[in-house]
Amino acid sequence: MTHPDQTTLALYAGQDLGWFRHRRTQRHLARCRECRDEVQAFASARDNLVALNELPAIPWNRLAIDMKANIRLGLAAGECVRGERMAGPLGLFGILSGARSLAACASVMALVTAGLFLERPTPPTAPAIAGDGAVLRATANGIELNEGGQTLSLLHVRSGDVTYSAGAQGSMRAGYVDADTGNVTINNLYVQ
Amino acid sequence: MYSKFAILFVAGVAALCAQETPPNNSVKINLPPDSPLTLISTDLGDSHVSQRGSAVVLDLDVALTLHNSSPNRVRGVTLLVAAQEVTPGGKASVSVPSLDVAPNQNFPVRINLRLLRPAQMRGGPLVEVNLDGVLFQDYSFYGPNRLESRRTMTAWEMQAQRDRKYFKSILAARGLDGLKQAMLESLNRQAERPRLDVQVSRGRAVTSAAVGEHAVRFAFLRFPGEPVEPVEGWAEIAGNEARNPRIDVHNLSSRQVRAVEIDWIVTDRQGKQYMAGSVPASGPEFNLKAGSTSRVLQDTALRLSRLANDGGTPLSIAGMTGFVGQVEFADGKVWIPNRESLANAQLLDILEPSPEEQRLMDLYRKKGPKALADELNKL
Repeated sequence: MTHPDQTTLALYAGQDLGWFRHRRTQRHLARCRECRDEVQAFASARDNLVALNELPAIPWNRLAIDMKANIRLGLAAGECVRGERMAGPLGLFGILSGARSLAACASVMALVTAGLFLERPTPPTAPAIAGDGAVLRATANGIELNEGGQTLSLLHVRSGDVTYSAGAQGSMRAGYVDADTGNVTINNLYVQ
Repeated sequence: MYSKFAILFVAGVAALCAQETPPNNSVKINLPPDSPLTLISTDLGDSHVSQRGSAVVLDLDVALTLHNSSPNRVRGVTLLVAAQEVTPGGKASVSVPSLDVAPNQNFPVRINLRLLRPAQMRGGPLVEVNLDGVLFQDYSFYGPNRLESRRTMTAWEMQAQRDRKYFKSILAARGLDGLKQAMLESLNRQAERPRLDVQVSRGRAVTSAAVGEHAVRFAFLRFPGEPVEPVEGWAEIAGNEARNPRIDVHNLSSRQVRAVEIDWIVTDRQGKQYMAGSVPASGPEFNLKAGSTSRVLQDTALRLSRLANDGGTPLSIAGMTGFVGQVEFADGKVWIPNRESLANAQLLDILEPSPEEQRLMDLYRKKGPKALADELNKL
């Protein structure tokens, strides 16, 4: 039996073949399990790419509202400052007194807050997988249980060589030698 | 005036950036009154609370000092770590096997834990640590054993004795050079061991890609003298996802079996084998009397991908192999395969090392063959 090449199977998995080639590949797949599995693997890879493309869960709308409010506050404070500068002889020193200086500081603080929100967004806790249930996975420095955006992680910060193993009863294990104590430590996470 | 502004600004930024120390009552350690271990001290070390956007991250670095107040030498400890408020569906544990703690001796246990939650923290303990089990030198056990820690710690201790015996025999037959050679082989084996990125979820497919799902049959490896043999088994495979493994096992022994663990190897389309995980069965619903057959069944999905440094692509599963990794009898005794059986089946290249082999490799790497030989002769 002649098998379609990898490109054809990949295009088939993405529904990107022309009608004739699609029909011919479909007929082949109906009787070739090996190629069916290849197509399935390509389809899974596409799913993963879609998941990877998703941005971490940052509340953009709320941040936008916060930022707009902060900018308005800043502009209002600026107007106060400008008025004072033109009217009074004290110039720069006059604008930093009393309630106005507090308003100016508050606006700067609010802008800094917004900046920090953008600079240090919530870690990407949104799972790279579909569904709402609890998921266990290994991360760069530990094992993690993620459930509804909340996470519980056990870390192995004092070791480089770590062995991981999964349990089909719903568990994940990481074993390492703790550099401080010299003891083997085995972290386990369980999902119920 | 400038200074007023500067103070306000600096104080504000500092308040935003500062990592606070978690309150002392963040962690509660509960040891039963009749426990063979007593708590000497709890040190929260570098623990801190920090803000990440709208989320609160609690990093706990807990160093416990425990005291062996029993008359026996302690070989292993398992602590159950619960953070119910954060993950109502999950729990955690920290085990320390391969210990050798004499009566009236203190020993350290470290717990490094991170909680990420969206809301502000409430008062009261966020994390509770309870004793799940203590294993002694004579294989006696203390503890509620909610996490099957008796079986796992007994198996680790048996693996430790098996692997120490193996390296001691090399030391006796071929001296320090032979021991060094064996350690280098172990280290190379671990460096070359094929590894996978595995995600685990209960009771449903990890992805929605259940298209093309089909049942794949397990092939089984059998070891001489194993008390339980796998008869047949299946799992549903869809792409890189394996679900609902079910394996029929037959008790060849004359004793009742309380728990069985089948180790699970997957093969990709290039014929490369990887350790995917284990399929355990225990509890009242698993009843394997002498000469009877029962089913090991788990309602779980595993999603398998190559590691990021190996391309990170999903692993297309072409075949599955299983073998009996552990058997616990009703009297608490445990059977594990011997090292010769594992070597004959070429499993040493695939399996992760036992905790004791991991410890011995670490000792060799840091202190050399002489220190390792001293350690082997000590126990």
